[in-house]
Amino acid sequence: MDYFFIIDFVQSLADGLLFGTTYALIGIGFTLIFGVMRKLNLAYGAAALAGTYVGLGLFLTFNAPPFVVFLASAIGAGLIGLVVYYCCFRFTPEAHPMASLLASVGMLLFLEEMMTHVSHGMPHPYPSVLSGATLELGDIWIRGDLLFVFGICVVAMALLFWLLYRTPLGLATRAVSQQPRAAQLCGIDSARVNALTFVIAGVLGGTAGAMTAAAVGILSPIIATGLTVKGLIVVVIGGLGSIPGAIIGGLLVGAAENIFLLLRGVTERDIYVMLLLFLFLTLRPGGLFGSAATRD
Amino acid sequence: MKLKSLITAGMISASALALSSAAFAADKTVRIVGFGASSGVVGIFGQNSGAAMSAAFEKINAEGGITLADGSKAMIETEYYDDRCNAEEGISVLRRIASTDALVAIGPTCSNVAEPLFGILQAKVDDAGDTGLQFPVFTDVAIKGGLAGISEWVFRNTPSEAKMYDDLFAWIRETYPDAKTIYGGVEEDFAHSRFTWYSVMKTAAEAHGFELVGEAQWLLNDTNFSNQARGMRRAEPDVVAISAHPFTSCGMLREMARQKIQPKVLVGLTSSSSLETLSGCANEAQGIIIPTSFAPVNDEAKAAAEAVAAKGGALDLHSAAAWENAMILRDVINAAGIEGTPDTLEADRRKIRDGLAALTTAHGLLGENKRMPDGEAVKPYVFVHAQGNAWEVVHNPGS
Repeated sequence: MDYFFIIDFVQSLADGLLFGTTYALIGIGFTLIFGVMRKLNLAYGAAALAGTYVGLGLFLTFNAPPFVVFLASAIGAGLIGLVVYYCCFRFTPEAHPMASLLASVGMLLFLEEMMTHVSHGMPHPYPSVLSGATLELGDIWIRGDLLFVFGICVVAMALLFWLLYRTPLGLATRAVSQQPRAAQLCGIDSARVNALTFVIAGVLGGTAGAMTAAAVGILSPIIATGLTVKGLIVVVIGGLGSIPGAIIGGLLVGAAENIFLLLRGVTERDIYVMLLLFLFLTLRPGGLFGSAATRD
Repeated sequence: MKLKSLITAGMISASALALSSAAFAADKTVRIVGFGASSGVVGIFGQNSGAAMSAAFEKINAEGGITLADGSKAMIETEYYDDRCNAEEGISVLRRIASTDALVAIGPTCSNVAEPLFGILQAKVDDAGDTGLQFPVFTDVAIKGGLAGISEWVFRNTPSEAKMYDDLFAWIRETYPDAKTIYGGVEEDFAHSRFTWYSVMKTAAEAHGFELVGEAQWLLNDTNFSNQARGMRRAEPDVVAISAHPFTSCGMLREMARQKIQPKVLVGLTSSSSLETLSGCANEAQGIIIPTSFAPVNDEAKAAAEAVAAKGGALDLHSAAAWENAMILRDVINAAGIEGTPDTLEADRRKIRDGLAALTTAHGLLGENKRMPDGEAVKPYVFVHAQGNAWEVVHNPGS
């Protein structure tokens, strides 16, 4: 094993783990919604990206500074998340889970088309932070912007945990997630909790979208499918409904992608990531942190 | 008196008939349609082509339209059909177009649509055993080399990338004599990018004495290029050639800047000499050299660019071909003597096909385009590089 291979391996691992935090945020969004409503929102990745375009709009129109752009992306995605909830989940019959699933597929296609239409499919520059900075540890280079992305994602996750475990809203969310009927009997408005969950998940998705665009330096609608697919892989590997699972899953997928890229090249990279997904579905369908517990 | 009244009435009737015939002639129309990707992530190509066609036909109509076999004039009606850069949709769109009164179609946008789509056309004209579609297609955008050979009903006005890159690497060899090595970067899952790197750029570079020191591959919607750029950094190439479309070209160029990769010469894919690249990453793209068959370097090209801009489009090497195709078709139709009636539709289409096949040269915005026997074109071209927020001509091989 030569020196350069070891350097490449460590570098790929580091890049993958840092970039994997964005996958983790997307995974958390999927898992949060599933955890509370037991429904999959397939429009989530597209909604996250649509929110990122709200931030981009501010950047292109008013030359807004990066932090304002990131914040607008997160808030925009939160609001679009709310629209997705009301359009696809709020009024679809509980007894027909396929209705909301297919409605979210429709919304995914609608949002993708809308973004493509508005942007004419063209890539647009998206502001980055620390894009020129590099932390050099011998032959290992850690990108400053990826460290920033990592930091923002960690802060977003910490805020989420605080929200879920230290606030009345979090208590209500966990109650609805565990026993929706019992929560309602205790006076918790489950529709309101569901709506807020979509907003919170949207904010996380918008942050992930903004950080993905900031890491590349440009935004294009073609990212939407990637965000959706990666998010789903992350939740399957981490365990649908588990937030720690989504975090570990995100980091694992980010690292695996880069390692497979190094070892097998770009044409085989996704084959191995999908194989990983297949192995989990077959051997551990609940994912790493999936719970066997059911609810009423 | 009675006779006089009859003669007067007859004259009035004859005049009315003549007037109505004239009005009828002025109302005559023929349809030439466009198709390609006008939505989806490469929709901008189709939108620009549509705008170019529309502007060109408007100009032709303003100048009196086209001349039919009986000497009367007809206006050109046009419409743009969207295939979303999808092969199945492209085939379905062309079948639909062929079932209308359209005489000829300009398109498609994507090479991955063009290749299977040309396969549904009759391969050899007059081959009774071949039941393929008999409909002329005059391609403007899909640039992958050699596709016109699939059917004798296909003609292309796309530049010859093989010729352009061969000249470009010869020019680089001469202009940068110290440059010895080349590193390639390719968007592996896009037909045009792959073909251009593996079959065109790489071949041309090696033919002109550049030593290939490595290749990096990525996919169309990749967002992380650090692995690929690392290999490039270690190889320390003099020339870097990127065969990718604007989104990933920009991603890779940014990663190269981050990793402080500074080749002596940066070469890009023909399709990247567009506003998209400058809109996505003008700073990182500074100096990238690209051969292109369109630049607003003369009065005619400037006027065409302005007319297309007025239609909301932008004239680049792809959409300029749509403009040229419209003008070439006007000349072919004028010379072919088509009837322009429903009864003569098939015969008219055949006349247009034969007219296109008979061309040996055609007027283009940068000069004369050579028409090749296999339906392909060899077009004049220039080398442009990104300077500030515009593409500037760095070398004109024709001058």
